[in-house]
Amino acid sequence: MSLQKPLMRGMLGKRLRFHLPIAFSLSLLAAIAFKYAVTEPRKQAYADFYKQYDATKEFNAMREAGIFESVRTGKVK
Amino acid sequence: MAHPSQLGFQDAASPVMEELLHFHDHALMIVFLISTLVLYIIVAMVSTKLTNKYILDSQEIEVIWTILPAFILILIALPSLRILYLMDEINDPHLTIKAMGHQWYWSYEYTDYEDLGFDSYMLPTQDLAPGQFRLLEADHRMVIPVESPIRVLVSAEDVLHSWAVPSLGVKMDAVPGRLNQTAFIASRPGVFYGQCSEICGANHSFMPIVVEAVPLQYFEKWSSLMLED
Repeated sequence: MSLQKPLMRGMLGKRLRFHLPIAFSLSLLAAIAFKYAVTEPRKQAYADFYKQYDATKEFNAMREAGIFESVRTGKVK
Repeated sequence: MAHPSQLGFQDAASPVMEELLHFHDHALMIVFLISTLVLYIIVAMVSTKLTNKYILDSQEIEVIWTILPAFILILIALPSLRILYLMDEINDPHLTIKAMGHQWYWSYEYTDYEDLGFDSYMLPTQDLAPGQFRLLEADHRMVIPVESPIRVLVSAEDVLHSWAVPSLGVKMDAVPGRLNQTAFIASRPGVFYGQCSEICGANHSFMPIVVEAVPLQYFEKWSSLMLED
């Protein structure tokens, strides 16, 4: 009986053909995860904030809290 | 202003800063894409038992790793150029303010209608009231009307300074003998802080910028009162 001929060539190519698709897929996955975990929520947060934003109400609340120096509660400085 | 352990940008208070935030997210997404790829390849390269692992040539891979980076660069460049041109648009400002850098304070001049000018020095730490921010508060704030395009002409009287307010997405060098123009719109009322951003001597870290955005009628009352003073 004879031994099976060992694998002589193409080992690196075989390794690359196995690993590179996984590498590219993982990196795409990381990018998509970042997009849907960070980028899109941030855009939505800003859109939602300004959709409901009442500048006058917020300004009056900040004025009552004494944040502004040019405008004081009740009357102008 | 910035808060402790903050990693990202301050909340945007102008449309341009919002665009910059979204562009940064886009660029960071590409950074994560490339970093993940490189990290995986590094781990795969150091964990192999193969000894002959150097490809001598391959036209296919050369084409791929030329075209793909070029494509990624275009993906970054297009939104980048869009924002660059967006930032350059100065559409009919309602107000022009001159911000002059000195060693070591800012002075603001509102000369559109009357001659209003004042200096803005940092409030010393020992003079701060509870709740005020160390090294950020100034004795006189630059007051602007909210939701109005503002043009700021920045220059300096002595050495280089830089007028920067991160939450408004503004930074402009103050160069003696030169007038630099920048513009912004404050999307919401509030108080926005910045610091001098060009080394200018011993007290470079102690000449902050404070912008106060209020509704127009309050801005008008403030400017009348300032003129009376």
